[in-house]
Amino acid sequence: MSDVRNNRREAGGSSVITANRLLDGRIVWQVEEGTWSTLIDDARIIPNDEIEAAIAHAAGRQQADGLVGVYGVQVDAEAATPTPVTVRERIRAFGPTVHPDFTPAAEFEAHA
Amino acid sequence: MPDTIPAPALPVGHYGYDQVDRAFLADRVEQFRDQVARRIAGTLSEDEFKPLRLMNGLYLQLHAYMLRIAIPYGVLDSRQMRELAHIARTYDRDYGHFTTRQNLQFNWIKLEDTPDILARLADVDMHAIQTSGNCIRNVTCDQFAGAAKDELVDPRVHAEILRQWSTLHPEFTFLPRKFKIAISGSPNDRVAARFHDIGLVAKPAPDGGTQFDVFVGGGMGRTPIVGVHLRDDLPEEDLLAYLEAMVRVYNEYGRRDNIYKARIKILVQALGTEGYRQKVDAEFAAMNRARYRLPPETVAAIRARFGTPDLHAPDDAPAQLDRARRAEPAFDRWVRTNTHPHRAPGYISAVISLKPAGGIPGDATSAQMDLIADLADRYAFGEIRVTHMQNLVLGHVRQDELHAVWQALRGADLASANIGLIGDIIACPGLDYCSLANARSIPIAQKLSARFASPELQETIGPIEIKISGCINACGHHHAGHIGILGVDKKGEEYFQLTLGGSPGSDASVGQILGPALPEDATVDAIARLVDAYLVHRTGDERFLDTYRRLGATLFKDAVYATA
Repeated sequence: MSDVRNNRREAGGSSVITANRLLDGRIVWQVEEGTWSTLIDDARIIPNDEIEAAIAHAAGRQQADGLVGVYGVQVDAEAATPTPVTVRERIRAFGPTVHPDFTPAAEFEAHA
Repeated sequence: MPDTIPAPALPVGHYGYDQVDRAFLADRVEQFRDQVARRIAGTLSEDEFKPLRLMNGLYLQLHAYMLRIAIPYGVLDSRQMRELAHIARTYDRDYGHFTTRQNLQFNWIKLEDTPDILARLADVDMHAIQTSGNCIRNVTCDQFAGAAKDELVDPRVHAEILRQWSTLHPEFTFLPRKFKIAISGSPNDRVAARFHDIGLVAKPAPDGGTQFDVFVGGGMGRTPIVGVHLRDDLPEEDLLAYLEAMVRVYNEYGRRDNIYKARIKILVQALGTEGYRQKVDAEFAAMNRARYRLPPETVAAIRARFGTPDLHAPDDAPAQLDRARRAEPAFDRWVRTNTHPHRAPGYISAVISLKPAGGIPGDATSAQMDLIADLADRYAFGEIRVTHMQNLVLGHVRQDELHAVWQALRGADLASANIGLIGDIIACPGLDYCSLANARSIPIAQKLSARFASPELQETIGPIEIKISGCINACGHHHAGHIGILGVDKKGEEYFQLTLGGSPGSDASVGQILGPALPEDATVDAIARLVDAYLVHRTGDERFLDTYRRLGATLFKDAVYATA
């Protein structure tokens, strides 16, 4: 998604790569090339000086991977697990705040 | 449910499709099925597919696809409501969200399911066409149309005529920007006519026919403007010709170089009311009037496709209602807040609040939708209306049966006595769902409605409209809120800007910014202090809006920021 809010990256920081799945629109996070997870905890953390190239590479194979709208999300360097720095991306990562049952973690546990 | 009123041949309250309509919808579904298949196969790119899915109401939102389904002039029948409930249960997460455009949105739709969903909708004469894109969107209407005691003309037939005129209109499929029309037939504006691209108010003409007040260039969003009154005497027979001229002028002169300046409100401001009027009149004069004339026979033919309720209540229906009210104070309160006077003796309109304390404004579960469909069949001729305030209405309820309706609603958490009060909050989906949003709207609404949950307190505070938008696009109508709340992004965090003094009605006004935006955890307390200040300074039964207009912003600013 070419949203200016998604391009806030600081030198020296780190990011993860995200997209929506084409078939159901659900949010996923890149674990490694060709592998994506609905849990941001699984995401590969990439230094910001490498992120643009990694995004371009992932975007190049998004149809093959069944994805749409590949982009990068800066995460908090101090957090123990990958945590986006903006509230928007935290809601994408951890689900709508008004439906606890619909969070990716709750859904993962329900299907575990 | 037993004793269901026999279903009439035509649906009460909205136009009954014929085979031409149904054949068109079936073709359209199959066309989209093919487009989806090509997208999944990769022969259509996302850039190619996006405008096609949007033309069928399918957005890609924050967490999933969202399908926006049109409810023309906000009226649906029980069969349609049950189908929406089925879709919620089968394809979504067991609920739907009624919007400020009288539509319904599902927030968790899968692309691959969408053709089947659209096929199911087509089976009940529904679709999602023109719920997105730069076209004429769903025409909205007074939720008490055809029922209200204060109504002069039932505007739904004209709303249907506008729907048919605007649907797939070849000239208006790619306007500079989206285009929204609202229509009412009451002198009391319940449709925010002055905040629409075109607002129409139907009224009797001196010759006994129908004519229209026409407002143009109203809108919210980044540039909130109260529409100007273009004329007060548009004859029914010129309705389509004149609107065609109005939209043509916009299509020709509206800006396409800047999305933020592309709505008709900007054009009307740029040309001035007189300048715009002259261009419309010139276009109108040059048109083939015979081609666009709306003759009474056509109006009658459209009207004949509407089912008509057989309104016969027992003579003692009002007395029975009075007795029930005296016997049960909670019911009496609900009747005070959640009903509207009906034109027919012994009848009343009932508003079903979708705003329980701490709930999500506009959301209804599939079980609630099914119950409301059953109640509509049993008590209201199978007809249900959606309000732009995100509630539902049973338009024609016998007064002696209102208590039974209330009891059924109460058992389903649908009987909050808060219509027009502080718990009746408009909130857009906000950052919990919407990819455009900067901040969450729903949690603020939940906290406010929980804080002011007491029905007694709400009645004490009196009429007050709180409206919350998660971004400047203003889907939550915050500009028209007595208290408006706008979510803004400050370096990736949510803040909320308050506006005071907005009004969507006949006394339309744009709310004024009170001061600096507040952090999320300070916003609800700030609203509570605003309300406290109002209660101290109001005189008699003065509304919040009138106290603000009388005293100005200073005391409210002090209430919010002195301790913030």
